[in-house]
Amino acid sequence: MLRRLRYWIESARRSEELREEMELHLAEKAAELQADGMTAERARAEARRRFGNVGLKHEESREIWITRFWSELGQDVRYGCRTMTANKAFSALAVLSLALGIGANTAIYSFMESILLRSLPVGDPESLVVLNWHSRPPQEGSKEWVHVIHGVQGILWPGDKGAMVSGMFPYGAFETLREENPVFSTLFGYFNGLNHNLAVRGQATSASAEYVTGEYFRGLAVSPAAGRLIDSEDDRPGAAPVAVISFATSQNRFGGPRNAIGQSILVDNIPFTVIGVAPPEFFGVDPAVAPDLYLPLHTNVLVDGAGAARMYGDGNFYWIEMMSRLRPGVSMAQAQAVLAPRFHQWVGTTAKTDGERAKLPALILNPGAEGLGSLRRQYSKPLYVLLAMVGLILAVTCANIANLLLARAAARRREMAVRLSLGAGRFRVVRQLLTESVMLAALGGAFGVLFAIWGVRSLTLLLSNGQENFTLHAELNWSVLGVTAALSVVCGLLFGLAPAIQSTRPDVMPALRNGRGGGSRRRAQHVLVVAQIAISFLILVAAGLFVRTLNKLHSVQLGYARENILLFSLNARQAGHRDPEIATFYTDLRKRFESIPGVSSATLSHASIISAGHAGATYRGTMKIGAITIAGAGVMVAGPRFLTTMQIPILAGREIDERDQPGSTPVAVISERLARTYFGNENPVGRRITFQDEKRDLEIVGVSANLRYGGLKQESPMTVFAAASQFSPDRVTYALRTAGDPLRYVRSVHEIVREADSRIPVTNVITQAAEIDRTISREVTFAKLCTGFAVLALLIACVGLYGTMSYNVARQIGEIGIRMALGAQRGAVVWMVLRRVLLLAAVGLAISVPAALSASQLVKSFLFDTQPNDPGTLALAGVVLLSTAILAGYAPARRASRIDPLAALRHE
Amino acid sequence: MGRKAQKNDSLPGSLDMLILRTLSLRDLHGYGIVQFIQQSSDNELLVEEGSLYPALQRLELNGWIGGVWGVTSNNRRARIYKITAAGRKQLAVETRQYAKLTLAIARVMGAE
Repeated sequence: MLRRLRYWIESARRSEELREEMELHLAEKAAELQADGMTAERARAEARRRFGNVGLKHEESREIWITRFWSELGQDVRYGCRTMTANKAFSALAVLSLALGIGANTAIYSFMESILLRSLPVGDPESLVVLNWHSRPPQEGSKEWVHVIHGVQGILWPGDKGAMVSGMFPYGAFETLREENPVFSTLFGYFNGLNHNLAVRGQATSASAEYVTGEYFRGLAVSPAAGRLIDSEDDRPGAAPVAVISFATSQNRFGGPRNAIGQSILVDNIPFTVIGVAPPEFFGVDPAVAPDLYLPLHTNVLVDGAGAARMYGDGNFYWIEMMSRLRPGVSMAQAQAVLAPRFHQWVGTTAKTDGERAKLPALILNPGAEGLGSLRRQYSKPLYVLLAMVGLILAVTCANIANLLLARAAARRREMAVRLSLGAGRFRVVRQLLTESVMLAALGGAFGVLFAIWGVRSLTLLLSNGQENFTLHAELNWSVLGVTAALSVVCGLLFGLAPAIQSTRPDVMPALRNGRGGGSRRRAQHVLVVAQIAISFLILVAAGLFVRTLNKLHSVQLGYARENILLFSLNARQAGHRDPEIATFYTDLRKRFESIPGVSSATLSHASIISAGHAGATYRGTMKIGAITIAGAGVMVAGPRFLTTMQIPILAGREIDERDQPGSTPVAVISERLARTYFGNENPVGRRITFQDEKRDLEIVGVSANLRYGGLKQESPMTVFAAASQFSPDRVTYALRTAGDPLRYVRSVHEIVREADSRIPVTNVITQAAEIDRTISREVTFAKLCTGFAVLALLIACVGLYGTMSYNVARQIGEIGIRMALGAQRGAVVWMVLRRVLLLAAVGLAISVPAALSASQLVKSFLFDTQPNDPGTLALAGVVLLSTAILAGYAPARRASRIDPLAALRHE
Repeated sequence: MGRKAQKNDSLPGSLDMLILRTLSLRDLHGYGIVQFIQQSSDNELLVEEGSLYPALQRLELNGWIGGVWGVTSNNRRARIYKITAAGRKQLAVETRQYAKLTLAIARVMGAE
């Protein structure tokens, strides 16, 4: 077989050699004939004539070593088909379970591929690098913030050893690194402009914007789908405002890329001209966000107001992100060696104290081929957990099929013995058996792909959980399908090899004689069953932990109403409203919403309670009561009737209401915990809170009950409610308390807003319940998926256990018959079988419990209020496993107890 | 196993045996094998020269003979074939079968 394979691989060389051999033959023949007196020419012709058709003979010889491999493979495949159709139930079961296993793996892997492995759709992604920095954390050693960073607009994330890492830089750093750069051919900057009001021909929607420097598109080597892209001329103060739009936007808003060129649009009421359309596959540099608009960096001064202009000159404000393209032949390490000192020197000039100088950020370069890592940071760990999970499922499946094949090998033992004794090589028989199992796996893989298509779709739905512009799109591309195919073949070999070797053991004679025997096979079966039980337990424990986490999250005391509340957001400032008119505008709208029939009360706040911690402009500065600084309190900017609408009990005083106007005394309502912490048993009503950065004193007018603010997993922090009319947020979230389904009122809301100002789009329309569930979407996904996985694994393990026990009972018919003939009770026989089931399950558990204890530590960060070694979950998983094991073993046990001793003995 | 029917003037399957027998005496290249068979049978057995090479390939594939590149007596590059241990065993089997067969045929032909 190996020799044949080698022949096949080397066939070109072999063929050449054969030709040479034949040429030599002809030459020698001709020489001999010539010696007998023929002319050279005649001798050659004669030699050729006697030899016959050289080409044909050559072909014949070649065929011998090439076609045999294929013809034997063909035989094996045909034989495999016959065996498969002969055992329809077995084949269907095997293919189905494999399809589930392989399909689940393919689905999860295609997500990994799209998040972790795919390159940006730009020219030569390999030479792109992302600029990051890392430094010691600002609050190290003391509670005060000590760092050259005085302000940020973007994300900081934790690095190794407690370091702080980020991709944001001050504009000065960008300029310093850009000038006379010996290692980068281009350096370009960008930052996420978040959502803006985009008006096209009077139709306003919310659109996400990316601010980019003039070198951005040239650096990424992107060519436009239409028009031209932003260049350095467009990105300078005072240049005519131009915009590049995404391909999707050009289709949705203009009916195609060509129609968009030269059109005028309004971004937050500022006129821009569309100069180009990005190619369809381009989504910027961060796979997590797909911008609708690309605007020149300096236009942020026009759109975001004069405050944005200050960002350019402030060396301590970190906001612009950078990528660059390496010059040919320059490595990333070389580039870092050149630029790190230059950045260090620059950043040193921005430090004002020794404390700041002690922890200056250090520049690091990272590969940029895959774009920014925000998606990777968010999803890689959950995906690895899920991949481990589906990998285990596939292992259970393989073990199960190996088990079934072992059982079937018993039935085919005679067949194999006959073949071996007739002289079939053992290798040949093993090969044929392996062909059969790989065929099963290939069929499983094919159906698995169908299952995966469905899986990817439902997983996308589950992960996105109603998020607008969810950018994570997995697909089954060739690399994913290649992995699936490889996985199928490996599975086939994996579960086929042991049974194939088992059933071709050379002890032919006993098998021929009685067709029984095989203690080692029974051992192998038991090992497989124990493995299945152990793995199922692992998955059960994981499912138990995630379900428990979800239950804990669902039973969290919110402190406010969850049902019958409709939420939606408006941003009037982006549509051109300004102080002080904007406060009246929002107030009037609130009154009109409240007058919708069926709406019992309406209120507004700067964000919904659940997302308040990380959304919008809350007050983040220092708050004091007298001379004491309040630590760990959140500010909620809320309108009238907020506590009533959210059903938060008022414990003392009053809530914020219509009396609180822009000109009147600034007021605050504090939560009970804040009151208890800083006022003890005194009544806080009438006392004052100082908002230091705003230089304002707020009079406390009421005390509310505690509420979970900014996420379910946070401890209820202390909350300060400030009046929306007195703080005037840009963007507000309205909350309507409705009778019946909140979504029924969406149409009325749209009508009212359009009447008030058609330039303002209504965004983030969602019910409060859905908004809360969205914050725990990962937990919901995990709990649902893992429960499904656990049921699947348990089911497969049960089939394995059932099969093994049935086979055991069948083998022991004689023994059981004798026992019963000697007076054994039925109960004793049932117990005899069940005892073995329990023993197998116990061994599986004994292996699995320590494994589960250590493996569950890995998912610790996914749990809420649940210990990884939660004894309740472990015990429950154990009980579930044992009872299903008994259930699976009971049928064979019952069958054993029904054996008629006479028939059994006669059978022997 | 899908083996091609051979065009051999004498008994079917005997070409393999003749080659093995030849190689059991000494190592030879293709043309040398043809020469040897013809000479040692006093030119009674004429090997169809074209059939030799498929036969050699088949024997090599079965592991009965092995070929290595060497040099002939008149200094030309040629593939020299050797018989292997498995080949000798096979030769013994085929010789026995052949003896049985010829004996049986002789009996039939000698019967009155």
